[in-house]
Amino acid sequence: MKILAMAEKELREYVLKPGSISWGIVFPLVFTLAFAIRFGDVDHLAPGLLSISVLFGTTSFVSSSVIFERRLRTFERLLVAPVGYFEIVLAKVLVGSLFGLFVGFTSLLFLRPFTVYGVWNPWLLLLFLTLSAMCFSGLGLYIALIVENPINAMTWLNLIRLPMMFTSGAIVSLLLFPHWFLAVGLATPMTYSVEGLRFSMLHYYDVVNPLYSLLVLLILTLLFLYLSTSRLENLY
Amino acid sequence: MEEAIVAENLVKRYGNVEAVRGISFRVKRGEAYALLGPNGAGKTTTVRMLTTLTSITSGEAYVNGHNVKTERLAVRRSIGLVPDISNLYEELTVEENLRFMAKLYDAPRERIAELIKDFNLPAGMKFGKLSSGFKRRVTIAAALIHEPEVLFLDEPTTALDINSAKAVRGLIRLLNKRGMTVFLTTHNMLEAETIPQRIAIIRGGKIVAEGRRNELKKLVGRRILVRLSVEPITSSLLKKLEPYKPAFEEGGIVLEVDEPDEFLRFIFSLRSELGFRIDHICTELPSIEDVFVELTEGGCPCGGCPL
Repeated sequence: MKILAMAEKELREYVLKPGSISWGIVFPLVFTLAFAIRFGDVDHLAPGLLSISVLFGTTSFVSSSVIFERRLRTFERLLVAPVGYFEIVLAKVLVGSLFGLFVGFTSLLFLRPFTVYGVWNPWLLLLFLTLSAMCFSGLGLYIALIVENPINAMTWLNLIRLPMMFTSGAIVSLLLFPHWFLAVGLATPMTYSVEGLRFSMLHYYDVVNPLYSLLVLLILTLLFLYLSTSRLENLY
Repeated sequence: MEEAIVAENLVKRYGNVEAVRGISFRVKRGEAYALLGPNGAGKTTTVRMLTTLTSITSGEAYVNGHNVKTERLAVRRSIGLVPDISNLYEELTVEENLRFMAKLYDAPRERIAELIKDFNLPAGMKFGKLSSGFKRRVTIAAALIHEPEVLFLDEPTTALDINSAKAVRGLIRLLNKRGMTVFLTTHNMLEAETIPQRIAIIRGGKIVAEGRRNELKKLVGRRILVRLSVEPITSSLLKKLEPYKPAFEEGGIVLEVDEPDEFLRFIFSLRSELGFRIDHICTELPSIEDVFVELTEGGCPCGGCPL
C-alpha cells in the first residue's frame, strides 16, 4: 500500500516537470520523427528508436523527481517515515517504468505510419518494453542518487545515455562494426533492450539471443534496485 | 523508560570536520527541551541524527526507548519531524499532502479532517501556493498525522513574520501542554524564553551549558540591573549610589545590584533622607539572550574552526 501511495504521489507531483517533458517526451519523439521522415521505411530502426525513447523517458522522469526531491528536501519526508529504503526505490522505479511505457507506446504510435510490418509478438513486446523501462528507471535512479550535487545528474545521465545510443546497436547494427566493438556492445545495458525489442517486433535479432536479453535485463534491473537501495542507505 | 530521548556521547563527523563532538543529554517524557546555539553549532545535525536522517559516527541515542542506530523504523513510527524548511509537495493540495502522509504512517483517514479543522488549513489549496506561515502550519500538521510521542522541530519559526511566528509558538506550547514531548532547536531568544522547560546551549558541536532558564541565568557574570528615574539627581545622591556603579542612560540611571530587595529598601530610605522624587524604578534579570551571548561569544572552543 505504501509503495502505491508513493507511486501515486510521484505521478501527481512530477509528470509535468520540465525535465520529464523536455528530455522524457519531446526529445525522443522528435528524434524518432527525424529518423522516420529521413528514411521513410524504419522497420529495422524502429526497435532501436523505441528503446531510445524508453531510455530517455524513464531516466529523465526518475532522475527529475529525485533531483527535485533532493533539492527541495521533500525526499527527507520519505526517509523519516516508517518506510523501508527498498520500498522507496521500488516506488520510484515503478512510476518511472509506467512513464517509460507511456513514452514507449506513444513512440510506437508515431512510428506506425513509417513501418511496413506490424509487431510480430505484442505480448513479447510488452514484456521487453516493461523490462527495459524497469532496467532504465533503475539506472536513472542510481545515477540521480550517486551524484553529490543533484543538479549534475542530467549531465552525468547524458554522458551515459548518448554514447549508449551508438554502442547498443540502436541506430547502426552491431554487425556492421569491427569485431572488437562487439564487446563494447555487449557491455551496454541498452543492447539487450534493443535486441529483445527487435526480436519481438521483427522476429529476428542481430547478436543476442532473446532469452539472454531477457535474463540480462532482469539481472540488470535487480542490480540497479540493489545498488540504489544501498546508495540510499549510505547517502543519509 | 522515563526518558523520551537519550543521547550519550553523540559524535557526527563529515570527513575531517566534526560537526557534533560528543554531546549527551536526556529529555523526559512530556518535557519541552531546546537546543540553543548559533548557526553551524551542530543543532540541525543533532536533530538529523536523532530522527534517523543521518548516521551517527559514534555514541548512542535512544528515542522512546528505541535504539536510533538499530531500530530505525520503530523510531520513525514514534516521532514527528518539522524540519527547518517547509518540505511538503508543492503540486499537491494541503489535503492530498496530509492524505499521503496518513498512508505513509498508516494513520486513520479521520485524522486528516481533524488536523484540517484544528489547524484551520485551506484543504483544497496547493501547498506551493500557500504563504510561509500556512506552509509552516501544514508542515507541523503533517508531522502530527500519526500522533507521535515525540515532536522534533528544527528552527520552527525561521523566516516567518511576527504574527505567524507567534501563532506557531503558541501551537508548540499547546502540544507540549497536552503531553507531547517537544525537542526544539533554535537561535531565536523569544522561543527559548517561552517554550522549553530546559535548555542546552550548544557551541562548536559541544554542549556548553544545560538547565532550566533560571539556572542558566545564574551562569551569567552580570548582576541584576535596576533602572531608576529620579528628580533631582544631586551629587550627594550619586555619591551614595557609587557602590552600585551608576551609569546614565536616557531617562535615568542604570545600576547593578546583587539583592534587589535590599537595594529597594536602601533607595527608599535615601528618598526620606535626601528628599528626591522617584518617577520610575524597575529591575531586570539577565535574559537567555545574555546567557547565550556570554556562552557563545569569542569563537568556537576548539580554536580550529571558523565558528
